[in-house]
Amino acid sequence: MNDTPLVTFETIGSITVGRIGAASVLDAVNVTQFGNEVLEFVKNRPGINLMLDFVHVDYLSSAVLTELLRINQVVQKGRGNLRLCGLKPDVHKVFEITNLDKVFTIYGESAQALKRFERSLEVAEQEDMWSRLAKDED
Amino acid sequence: MSENKAFYRAEFASTLDVLGDAITDALEALLANGWIDEDQVFYARLCLEEALVNAITHGNQSDTTRKVRIEMTREAPGDICCIRVCDEGPGFRPETVPLPAGASLNGRGVCLIRHCMESVTYNPEDHCLEMRMRRKGLCRGGAVS
Repeated sequence: MNDTPLVTFETIGSITVGRIGAASVLDAVNVTQFGNEVLEFVKNRPGINLMLDFVHVDYLSSAVLTELLRINQVVQKGRGNLRLCGLKPDVHKVFEITNLDKVFTIYGESAQALKRFERSLEVAEQEDMWSRLAKDED
Repeated sequence: MSENKAFYRAEFASTLDVLGDAITDALEALLANGWIDEDQVFYARLCLEEALVNAITHGNQSDTTRKVRIEMTREAPGDICCIRVCDEGPGFRPETVPLPAGASLNGRGVCLIRHCMESVTYNPEDHCLEMRMRRKGLCRGGAVS
Protein backbone atom coordinates (compact mmCIF):
# COMPACT_ATOMS: atom_id res chain seq x y z
CA MET A 1 0.00 0.00 0.00
CA ASN A 2 1.22 3.48 -0.89
CA ASP A 3 2.05 5.75 2.08
CA THR A 4 0.73 8.81 0.25
CA PRO A 5 -3.02 9.20 0.78
CA LEU A 6 -5.01 8.98 -2.43
CA VAL A 7 -7.80 11.14 -1.04
CA THR A 8 -7.61 14.39 0.96
CA PHE A 9 -10.70 15.65 2.78
CA GLU A 10 -11.78 19.24 3.36
CA THR A 11 -14.95 20.33 5.11
CA ILE A 12 -16.67 23.35 3.58
CA GLY A 13 -19.77 24.32 5.57
CA SER A 14 -21.99 21.24 5.80
CA ILE A 15 -20.19 19.43 2.97
CA THR A 16 -16.99 17.40 3.04
CA VAL A 17 -15.07 17.37 -0.24
CA GLY A 18 -12.88 14.32 -0.86
CA ARG A 19 -10.31 15.16 -3.50
CA ILE A 20 -8.74 12.23 -5.27
CA GLY A 21 -5.40 13.88 -5.87
CA ALA A 22 -2.52 11.48 -5.56
CA ALA A 23 -3.51 9.17 -8.38
CA SER A 24 -4.51 9.92 -11.94
CA VAL A 25 -5.24 6.23 -12.27
CA LEU A 26 -7.63 4.27 -10.09
CA ASP A 27 -7.13 0.67 -11.11
CA ALA A 28 -7.21 -2.81 -9.64
CA VAL A 29 -3.87 -2.19 -7.94
CA ASN A 30 -4.70 0.90 -5.85
CA VAL A 31 -8.47 0.52 -5.65
CA THR A 32 -8.33 -1.16 -2.26
CA GLN A 33 -6.36 1.74 -0.82
CA PHE A 34 -8.87 4.18 -2.29
CA GLY A 35 -11.83 2.29 -0.83
CA ASN A 36 -10.22 1.85 2.58
CA GLU A 37 -9.29 5.51 2.89
CA VAL A 38 -12.78 6.74 2.11
CA LEU A 39 -14.58 4.03 4.12
CA GLU A 40 -12.34 4.71 7.12
CA PHE A 41 -13.24 8.39 6.89
CA VAL A 42 -17.01 7.99 6.50
CA LYS A 43 -17.68 5.08 8.87
CA ASN A 44 -17.46 7.19 12.04
CA ARG A 45 -19.22 10.18 10.54
CA PRO A 46 -22.93 9.40 10.31
CA GLY A 47 -24.90 11.97 8.35
CA ILE A 48 -21.87 13.02 6.32
CA ASN A 49 -22.50 14.98 3.13
CA LEU A 50 -19.59 13.78 1.01
CA MET A 51 -18.64 14.97 -2.42
CA LEU A 52 -15.87 13.01 -4.17
CA ASP A 53 -14.00 15.14 -6.69
CA PHE A 54 -12.63 13.15 -9.66
CA VAL A 55 -11.11 16.08 -11.53
CA HIS A 56 -7.59 14.59 -11.38
CA VAL A 57 -8.70 11.06 -12.26
CA ASP A 58 -7.85 10.09 -15.84
CA TYR A 59 -8.84 6.43 -15.62
CA LEU A 60 -10.89 4.03 -13.54
CA SER A 61 -12.11 0.47 -13.88
CA SER A 62 -15.13 -1.47 -12.62
CA ALA A 63 -13.28 -2.25 -9.38
CA VAL A 64 -13.59 1.44 -8.49
CA LEU A 65 -17.32 1.35 -9.20
CA THR A 66 -17.65 -1.48 -6.68
CA GLU A 67 -15.77 0.56 -4.05
CA LEU A 68 -17.99 3.58 -4.73
CA LEU A 69 -21.09 1.44 -4.27
CA ARG A 70 -19.69 0.18 -0.95
CA ILE A 71 -18.98 3.75 0.15
CA ASN A 72 -22.48 4.79 -0.88
CA GLN A 73 -23.98 1.95 1.21
CA VAL A 74 -22.14 3.14 4.34
CA VAL A 75 -22.99 6.80 3.74
CA GLN A 76 -26.67 6.02 3.18
CA LYS A 77 -26.81 3.75 6.23
CA GLY A 78 -25.67 6.75 8.28
CA ARG A 79 -28.39 8.85 6.59
CA GLY A 80 -25.77 10.88 4.78
CA ASN A 81 -25.41 11.86 1.14
CA LEU A 82 -22.78 11.07 -1.50
CA ARG A 83 -22.20 13.07 -4.64
CA LEU A 84 -19.58 12.77 -7.38
CA CYS A 85 -18.13 15.65 -9.39
CA GLY A 86 -15.42 16.60 -11.86
CA LEU A 87 -15.64 13.45 -13.99
CA LYS A 88 -13.79 13.61 -17.30
CA PRO A 89 -15.79 12.47 -20.36
CA ASP A 90 -14.27 8.96 -20.59
CA VAL A 91 -14.66 8.40 -16.85
CA HIS A 92 -18.27 9.61 -17.02
CA LYS A 93 -18.86 7.22 -19.92
CA VAL A 94 -17.96 4.25 -17.68
CA PHE A 95 -20.79 5.28 -15.34
CA GLU A 96 -23.17 5.63 -18.31
CA ILE A 97 -22.31 2.23 -19.81
CA THR A 98 -22.95 0.52 -16.47
CA ASN A 99 -26.10 2.57 -15.74
CA LEU A 100 -24.50 3.86 -12.54
CA ASP A 101 -25.13 7.43 -13.67
CA LYS A 102 -28.67 6.65 -12.50
CA VAL A 103 -27.49 5.35 -9.11
CA PHE A 104 -25.09 8.18 -8.24
CA THR A 105 -25.84 11.88 -8.41
CA ILE A 106 -23.08 13.28 -10.60
CA TYR A 107 -22.36 16.98 -10.85
CA GLY A 108 -19.98 18.95 -13.11
CA GLU A 109 -16.95 20.92 -11.96
CA SER A 110 -16.22 21.28 -8.25
CA ALA A 111 -17.26 24.88 -7.42
CA GLN A 112 -20.61 24.59 -9.22
CA ALA A 113 -21.10 21.11 -7.78
CA LEU A 114 -20.66 22.44 -4.24
CA LYS A 115 -23.44 25.00 -4.81
CA ARG A 116 -25.77 22.38 -6.28
CA PHE A 117 -25.08 19.99 -3.40
CA GLU A 118 -25.77 22.76 -0.83
CA ARG A 119 -29.00 23.65 -2.63
CA SER A 120 -30.13 20.01 -2.73
CA LEU A 121 -29.52 19.72 1.02
CA GLU A 122 -31.56 22.89 1.65
CA VAL A 123 -34.43 21.52 -0.45
CA ALA A 124 -34.27 18.16 1.36
CA GLU A 125 -34.33 19.95 4.73
CA GLN A 126 -37.38 22.00 3.69
CA GLU A 127 -39.17 18.89 2.43
CA ASP A 128 -38.38 17.14 5.70
CA MET A 129 -39.79 20.09 7.67
CA TRP A 130 -43.02 20.16 5.62
CA SER A 131 -43.35 16.42 6.03
CA ARG A 132 -43.03 16.73 9.82
CA LEU A 133 -45.58 19.58 9.90
CA ALA A 134 -48.04 17.53 7.84
CA LYS A 135 -47.66 14.62 10.25
CA ASP A 136 -48.22 16.93 13.25
CA GLU A 137 -51.47 18.18 11.66
CA ASP A 138 -52.67 14.59 11.28
CA MET B 1 -2.20 -22.87 -43.52
CA SER B 2 -3.81 -20.36 -41.18
CA GLU B 3 -3.84 -16.72 -42.27
CA ASN B 4 -4.01 -15.65 -38.64
CA LYS B 5 -0.87 -14.08 -37.28
CA ALA B 6 -0.10 -13.44 -33.59
CA PHE B 7 1.62 -10.11 -33.03
CA TYR B 8 1.84 -10.24 -29.24
CA ARG B 9 2.17 -12.97 -26.61
CA ALA B 10 2.87 -12.81 -22.87
CA GLU B 11 2.47 -15.10 -19.90
CA PHE B 12 2.62 -14.26 -16.20
CA ALA B 13 1.76 -15.49 -12.72
CA SER B 14 -1.71 -14.83 -11.28
CA THR B 15 -0.97 -11.74 -9.25
CA LEU B 16 -2.20 -8.18 -9.58
CA ASP B 17 1.39 -6.98 -9.00
CA VAL B 18 2.22 -7.63 -12.66
CA LEU B 19 -0.95 -6.09 -14.02
CA GLY B 20 0.43 -2.59 -14.70
CA ASP B 21 3.36 -3.83 -16.81
CA ALA B 22 1.24 -6.44 -18.60
CA ILE B 23 -1.36 -3.87 -19.62
CA THR B 24 1.23 -1.27 -20.66
CA ASP B 25 3.02 -3.78 -22.91
CA ALA B 26 -0.23 -4.98 -24.50
CA LEU B 27 -1.39 -1.39 -25.12
CA GLU B 28 1.92 -0.56 -26.79
CA ALA B 29 1.50 -3.57 -29.08
CA LEU B 30 -2.03 -2.48 -30.04
CA LEU B 31 -0.84 1.06 -30.77
CA ALA B 32 2.28 -0.05 -32.64
CA ASN B 33 0.26 -2.37 -34.87
CA GLY B 34 -2.32 0.32 -35.62
CA TRP B 35 -5.31 -1.36 -33.95
CA ILE B 36 -6.17 1.61 -31.74
CA ASP B 37 -5.66 5.37 -31.77
CA GLU B 38 -4.41 7.34 -28.77
CA ASP B 39 -7.99 8.40 -27.99
CA GLN B 40 -8.96 4.71 -27.66
CA VAL B 41 -6.25 3.85 -25.12
CA PHE B 42 -8.66 4.47 -22.21
CA TYR B 43 -11.10 1.81 -23.47
CA ALA B 44 -8.41 -0.65 -24.58
CA ARG B 45 -6.88 -0.40 -21.13
CA LEU B 46 -10.31 -0.87 -19.57
CA CYS B 47 -11.00 -4.07 -21.58
CA LEU B 48 -7.55 -5.50 -20.89
CA GLU B 49 -7.75 -4.74 -17.17
CA GLU B 50 -11.25 -6.16 -16.77
CA ALA B 51 -10.31 -9.37 -18.65
CA LEU B 52 -6.98 -9.82 -16.83
CA VAL B 53 -8.40 -9.12 -13.36
CA ASN B 54 -11.17 -11.59 -14.10
CA ALA B 55 -8.63 -14.24 -15.20
CA ILE B 56 -6.39 -13.67 -12.16
CA THR B 57 -9.00 -13.38 -9.42
CA HIS B 58 -11.93 -15.48 -10.69
CA GLY B 59 -10.35 -17.89 -13.19
CA ASN B 60 -7.15 -18.65 -11.31
CA GLN B 61 -8.40 -17.66 -7.83
CA SER B 62 -5.19 -15.56 -7.40
CA ASP B 63 -3.18 -18.79 -7.21
CA THR B 64 0.32 -17.64 -8.22
CA THR B 65 1.28 -21.12 -9.42
CA ARG B 66 -1.35 -20.78 -12.15
CA LYS B 67 -0.54 -18.79 -15.29
CA VAL B 68 -2.42 -16.15 -17.22
CA ARG B 69 -1.70 -15.81 -20.92
CA ILE B 70 -2.44 -12.95 -23.24
CA GLU B 71 -2.23 -13.35 -27.00
CA MET B 72 -3.20 -10.92 -29.71
CA THR B 73 -3.76 -12.08 -33.26
CA ARG B 74 -4.70 -10.48 -36.56
CA GLU B 75 -7.44 -12.56 -38.08
CA ALA B 76 -7.74 -12.49 -41.84
CA PRO B 77 -9.80 -12.05 -43.86
CA GLY B 78 -11.65 -9.21 -42.25
CA ASP B 79 -8.77 -7.42 -40.54
CA ILE B 80 -10.01 -8.33 -37.08
CA CYS B 81 -7.91 -8.18 -33.90
CA CYS B 82 -8.56 -11.04 -31.50
CA ILE B 83 -7.31 -10.49 -27.94
CA ARG B 84 -7.24 -13.78 -26.04
CA VAL B 85 -6.89 -13.79 -22.25
CA CYS B 86 -6.43 -17.35 -21.00
CA ASP B 87 -6.45 -18.79 -17.49
CA GLU B 88 -6.64 -22.20 -15.82
CA GLY B 89 -10.14 -21.79 -14.41
CA PRO B 90 -13.43 -23.46 -15.30
CA GLY B 91 -14.56 -20.68 -17.63
CA PHE B 92 -17.84 -18.83 -18.02
CA ARG B 93 -20.18 -17.58 -20.72
CA PRO B 94 -19.65 -13.81 -21.05
CA GLU B 95 -22.66 -13.41 -23.33
CA THR B 96 -24.95 -14.51 -20.49
CA VAL B 97 -23.58 -12.11 -17.85
CA PRO B 98 -26.32 -9.49 -17.37
CA LEU B 99 -25.70 -5.85 -16.57
CA PRO B 100 -26.28 -5.79 -12.80
CA ALA B 101 -29.44 -4.06 -11.69
CA GLY B 102 -29.29 -0.91 -9.60
CA ALA B 103 -26.59 -0.79 -6.96
CA SER B 104 -25.51 -4.46 -7.05
CA LEU B 105 -21.82 -4.53 -6.22
CA ASN B 106 -20.24 -6.76 -8.91
CA GLY B 107 -20.48 -7.96 -12.51
CA ARG B 108 -19.89 -4.78 -14.49
CA GLY B 109 -16.46 -5.65 -15.93
CA VAL B 110 -17.74 -8.04 -18.57
CA CYS B 111 -20.49 -5.60 -19.53
CA LEU B 112 -17.88 -2.90 -20.12
CA ILE B 113 -15.91 -5.25 -22.39
CA ARG B 114 -19.10 -6.19 -24.27
CA HIS B 115 -19.87 -2.52 -24.83
CA CYS B 116 -16.44 -1.77 -26.27
CA MET B 117 -15.69 -4.90 -28.32
CA GLU B 118 -17.33 -6.21 -31.48
CA SER B 119 -17.73 -9.61 -29.84
CA VAL B 120 -16.79 -11.34 -26.58
CA THR B 121 -16.85 -15.12 -26.35
CA TYR B 122 -15.28 -17.84 -24.23
CA ASN B 123 -13.26 -20.60 -25.85
CA PRO B 124 -13.67 -23.60 -23.51
CA GLU B 125 -11.00 -25.71 -25.22
CA ASP B 126 -8.22 -23.21 -24.57
CA HIS B 127 -9.83 -21.60 -21.46
CA CYS B 128 -9.62 -18.21 -23.17
CA LEU B 129 -11.80 -15.15 -23.19
CA GLU B 130 -11.74 -13.95 -26.80
CA MET B 131 -12.38 -10.28 -27.46
CA ARG B 132 -12.63 -9.20 -31.10
CA MET B 133 -12.56 -5.73 -32.59
CA ARG B 134 -12.15 -4.13 -35.97
CA ARG B 135 -9.17 -1.88 -36.67
CA LYS B 136 -9.76 1.35 -34.72
CA GLY B 137 -13.32 0.19 -34.09
CA LEU B 138 -12.97 -0.13 -30.31
CA CYS B 139 -15.88 1.28 -28.32
CA ARG B 140 -17.74 2.53 -31.36
CA GLY B 141 -20.58 0.10 -30.70
CA GLY B 142 -24.02 0.40 -29.17
CA ALA B 143 -25.32 0.11 -25.64
CA VAL B 144 -24.98 -2.91 -23.38
CA SER B 145 -28.13 -4.96 -23.41
